[in-house]
Amino acid sequence: MLAGNARLLMTMPLDDLTDLSDEVLLARYAQGDRSAARVLVLRLSPRVLGYAARLLGDRAEAEDVAQEALVRLWKIAPDWRAGEAQVTTWLYRVVTNLVTDRHRARQRRAATALDEAPEVADATPGAVAQMIEADRMAALDTALAQLPDRQRQAVVLRHIEGMTNPEIAAIMEIGVEAVESLTARGKRALTAILSGQRAALGYEDEGAEA
Amino acid sequence: MVWRCEMTPQELDDLLSAARSRPAEASSDFMARMLEDAYALQPDPVVQAAPAVAPPGLLARFSRWVFGFGGAATGLATATAAGVWIGFVQPAPVTTIRVALQGAETVEQVDLIPSLDGWLSEG
Repeated sequence: MLAGNARLLMTMPLDDLTDLSDEVLLARYAQGDRSAARVLVLRLSPRVLGYAARLLGDRAEAEDVAQEALVRLWKIAPDWRAGEAQVTTWLYRVVTNLVTDRHRARQRRAATALDEAPEVADATPGAVAQMIEADRMAALDTALAQLPDRQRQAVVLRHIEGMTNPEIAAIMEIGVEAVESLTARGKRALTAILSGQRAALGYEDEGAEA
Repeated sequence: MVWRCEMTPQELDDLLSAARSRPAEASSDFMARMLEDAYALQPDPVVQAAPAVAPPGLLARFSRWVFGFGGAATGLATATAAGVWIGFVQPAPVTTIRVALQGAETVEQVDLIPSLDGWLSEG
């Protein structure tokens, strides 16, 4: 059943709906347009999943969060007020909040949590050094996982999801200056974490000085 | 010799860009679940209700009963019938107005092409 639906989803024509904005498609979805539902699922699901996976570092959990966020979108669709917010901004905010809730639950369960460390820049890069396969993407994911929640969210939204600072401010419900601060601190922390792995990550020693 | 081991801002930016260019791959099962949710929670299609048609008026129903059709043709036929009826019966209001304008002549005696005699007698 699922595989059949997936094949159908990938092969069925999408008419000319792919040029329409998320907001227009959501309005059509609310009117019962099944083509709009397909386009929205194809367009939004991978993005939401990718963002959740970056924040959580766990694929299964990320799928749960992405599914929950999309379910909330479908439920609010009939009451969606055009022009009030972008669909993606709203979705990313929901994912961010869901992930934050899960992190808090993790912290309650764990005796100690990395997020409670005072400042990641102080952390030794030993955690990354334990990686058996020092793939750059894996190293980045591992480093991102060590950032405090808000820094990780800001860095991922800005540098991986490609959002603008005002968009991130809307998603995180903070000011633009706070976004800039979180992003800068997050990048400094990433640099500190990854620096010890520079050679393992395959960067050349062009910086060597005689 | 001093070895720089700190990652440069450019290297970090490149790493982040590389991550950005590798979007998450959603499995077909996951996509199918998302589509099933979307369909299950989607409102039923909006059906355009036919505009309400007002019931025909008394005159229209009468005309339809008499002439067997309606619309503009009904109005034309009704006006024609009314004109014929007024011409024959000459109801009191019409007669009163005519008498006031033309005197006591009957409609049948109206001289639509007056004789030139009156004009000629003036010289």
